[in-house]
Amino acid sequence: MSNYRVGDELAPMVAGEVTRELITAYSQVSMDPNPMHTDEELAKAMGYPTVYAQGMLGMAMLARHLGQVAGMGKLHRIKCRFKTMTWPGETITCRAKVTAVEEKDGKQLVTVEIHTENQDGEPKVLGEAVFAV
Amino acid sequence: MPKRELIGKETEATTVTINPESNKAFAKVVGELDPLYHDEAAARAAGYANVLAPPTYPIAFMAESMNPELFFELELNLPSIVHGEQEFLYFQPIVTGVELTMKGRIADMWEKTGRSGTLDFVVMEAEASDQQGKPVYTSRITLISKRASE
Repeated sequence: MSNYRVGDELAPMVAGEVTRELITAYSQVSMDPNPMHTDEELAKAMGYPTVYAQGMLGMAMLARHLGQVAGMGKLHRIKCRFKTMTWPGETITCRAKVTAVEEKDGKQLVTVEIHTENQDGEPKVLGEAVFAV
Repeated sequence: MPKRELIGKETEATTVTINPESNKAFAKVVGELDPLYHDEAAARAAGYANVLAPPTYPIAFMAESMNPELFFELELNLPSIVHGEQEFLYFQPIVTGVELTMKGRIADMWEKTGRSGTLDFVVMEAEASDQQGKPVYTSRITLISKRASE
């Protein structure tokens, strides 16, 4: 049995700096064709200060965080909303807070509110996830 | 304007086999370094046919689960589309190198009008199952399209 209780904050994970190289690499491996992540001139022409990171890159970081916390293969569900853009040079931390703990089919299911934030604590990707203990 | 009558419309089933090498490249970029994502021997020792895919990897072959004709039938304003939300439900580990059967459908559609115009929200769902027909995962992607001024 675990000691998860509603209101607990799980140990955060510093995912690190989101560099242009990381954004470009993520576009390649995720088959994301959107040039706003890779084409600096186009991003500026569209009114953005520079290229921005994929929302899914933030979601991948959140999923990795939960894998570290709960272990491989324990994730039942993850849902994310891409609230604001993540910019090159920002350092991202993943956070999770327990909102529900329930028993189901002999397993304990933990629901967490999750988000990524930059070095100033500004939230970027928000969501909810459920993992088994 | 997007066609509400398309809600519930299903695509023909397609099949996808995740390439273990592409999967490893993805896992490395997103910092998933567990041997089960990278090392065939470790995956087999743990009882899997091949290395596992990280939880969000299915986004890389999302397009293959959706019939492009159905997508274009939606009549969204393509250059304006943003990925608003993403949800995955997992029923068993996602194993690379084995065939998955994908069924897509338009799960929901609604609109919101504000000061800057009308936004169309479309939820596309894809269900992946294994060769025994058992569910592997479900993906729900919410796209937001800004309607061109009329």
